[in-house]
Amino acid sequence: MLRQDINELLTQTGPGTPMGDLFRQYWIPALLAEELPENDSPPVRVKLLSERLIAFRDSEGRYGLIDEFCAHRGASLWFGRNEGSGLRCPYHGWKYDVTGQCVEVPSEADNSSFCENVKLRAYPLVKVGDILWTYMGDPAKRPDLPEFEFAHVPPEQTYTSKRWQQCNWLQAFEGGIDSSHVTFLHSGGLKSDPLFKGAKGNEYNMKDTKPFFEVADSEGGLFVGARRNAEEGTYYWRITPWVMPAFTMVPPRGDHPVHGHFWVPIDDENCWTYSFDYHPARPLTAAERQAMIDGHGVHSKNIPGTYRPVANMDNDYLIDREAQKRGETYSGVAGIAMQDASLQESMGPIVDRTKERLVPADSGIIKARQKLRKAAIALRDEGVTPPGVDTAHHRVRSAAVVLPQAESFLDSCRDAVKATPGVPHSSV
Amino acid sequence: MYASESARAASASESRYRITVPIAPARNARVIALDARAAAVARRISDGPWANARFYTCEATRGGGPADEFLLYGLDGVPATLDDTLRGTDVVVVIGTDDSGGTRAAAIGNACSARAITTAGVVLGDGFEADDAVAALRPHARVLLLSADESDAFELLMALRV
Ligand code: FES
Ligand SMILES: [Fe+2]
Repeated sequence: MLRQDINELLTQTGPGTPMGDLFRQYWIPALLAEELPENDSPPVRVKLLSERLIAFRDSEGRYGLIDEFCAHRGASLWFGRNEGSGLRCPYHGWKYDVTGQCVEVPSEADNSSFCENVKLRAYPLVKVGDILWTYMGDPAKRPDLPEFEFAHVPPEQTYTSKRWQQCNWLQAFEGGIDSSHVTFLHSGGLKSDPLFKGAKGNEYNMKDTKPFFEVADSEGGLFVGARRNAEEGTYYWRITPWVMPAFTMVPPRGDHPVHGHFWVPIDDENCWTYSFDYHPARPLTAAERQAMIDGHGVHSKNIPGTYRPVANMDNDYLIDREAQKRGETYSGVAGIAMQDASLQESMGPIVDRTKERLVPADSGIIKARQKLRKAAIALRDEGVTPPGVDTAHHRVRSAAVVLPQAESFLDSCRDAVKATPGVPHSSV
Repeated sequence: MYASESARAASASESRYRITVPIAPARNARVIALDARAAAVARRISDGPWANARFYTCEATRGGGPADEFLLYGLDGVPATLDDTLRGTDVVVVIGTDDSGGTRAAAIGNACSARAITTAGVVLGDGFEADDAVAALRPHARVLLLSADESDAFELLMALRV
């Protein structure tokens, strides 16, 4: 369980809140690069950390993320005309550049300095990999750009999707470090999902449904090791890294691409789940990429033209009780992503954590909450830069390995959990 | 206007109708400190808001004997056998900070496994000072928290509602 005041501290990310300020220390995904496919393409509404914004790409290819509403009388710039190196409000023609600077107020005299004094709040928007990242904090403290491996391998080795999740970011994120649900909720996927099936590790997963856990501090967050019995005298370890505030990776399976997530608050009752898949050492095959586009693995099949999953709360996640009975899916919901999302959303927009009954197997979650709380308070009270801002903390990987029983996963996997360009991930 | 039962059930307004009953402390926990520094941690957290948790040290004992004859001490200094200590509990949290507790960790871990008591270990330090304690706990502890932060033990107990 968690005290109500701490639950509020961790789940509220709007401006001026401690967790909101914590998120504003980092570069976070704002949208996918594919959403602004070309210069002067239509502007996109973006809501992040409870702020309504507009993203656009101007005639020179510069990206901007600015206040959604025109400084004149508050019309949404989503209706704007993206033309001539700026976004023009269609109501009375005020025009803004990617920095939010008003560059034209047609009603004013040509030499008026009026518009110089009109500037919308704007945040930097930078493409790294397939994602446009933003930093919403103090410009003077702007950190280096993210160095997560999935965003730095050549484009043919990586794929990223996103989906709207209708619950608070924390309960979605907690699923990312909750290794004990995999053998239950996702058991069907281990057998059938094209991006999971066939790995030797899956057999250990299925044979031993009572994993043991080790949770260890890392510089940027945590490593959560889940251990199951393998052959005589050995353990099968699945190691999940968390980099603060919201980056997690799933341990890989065989030579399948390795995957993970970034959990980004939209407001306190909605979040974006970014899901990536990459192979550190080879291009994704056409079949792999197609499977990802089709919503297999950690990805979702979305309603065309949107980032809302086809299976969602408005259609009961297309639950199939017969498939559940036959054992094809454990919960009746198809697909890893929606299996997670359906249950996380079912908890309500912000789950009441005062009512939980946690068990020792939930220690990864317990520890992560504690680290988030401590970091938010240290930032608020003493201005301490939190873990995960330093880009060295980004260069981690998940791993799946078989080790002699006496070995510590931390000692034995020092290299395996380090992102080393071109070197394949450690996987069973 | 909801499109499905799931959408309605998951709404904020429906959260109000969740049944609220007082949640009884779930666990009758024993917290056992393996060494001197761990004992200091146990003492500091022992006056927390606990319902049933009881705290023990074993720093003054010599390990190696059969598990059931293993002597522990309550924080008031009253000795207790491991067997008595484990009676009626369903979760044991072991705290260690160095290797001096390795043998005792193994004995406690074995005794808990034999009695089907869920065991958790909190090992404080940089991960090297307590290698042996970690290795001794590993086969038995459902979870090991390897941490530099002594408040982990407190947080774990809070989360488990002991
Ligand atoms: S078994 Fe975990 S939420 Fe129900
Ligand atoms: Fe999951």
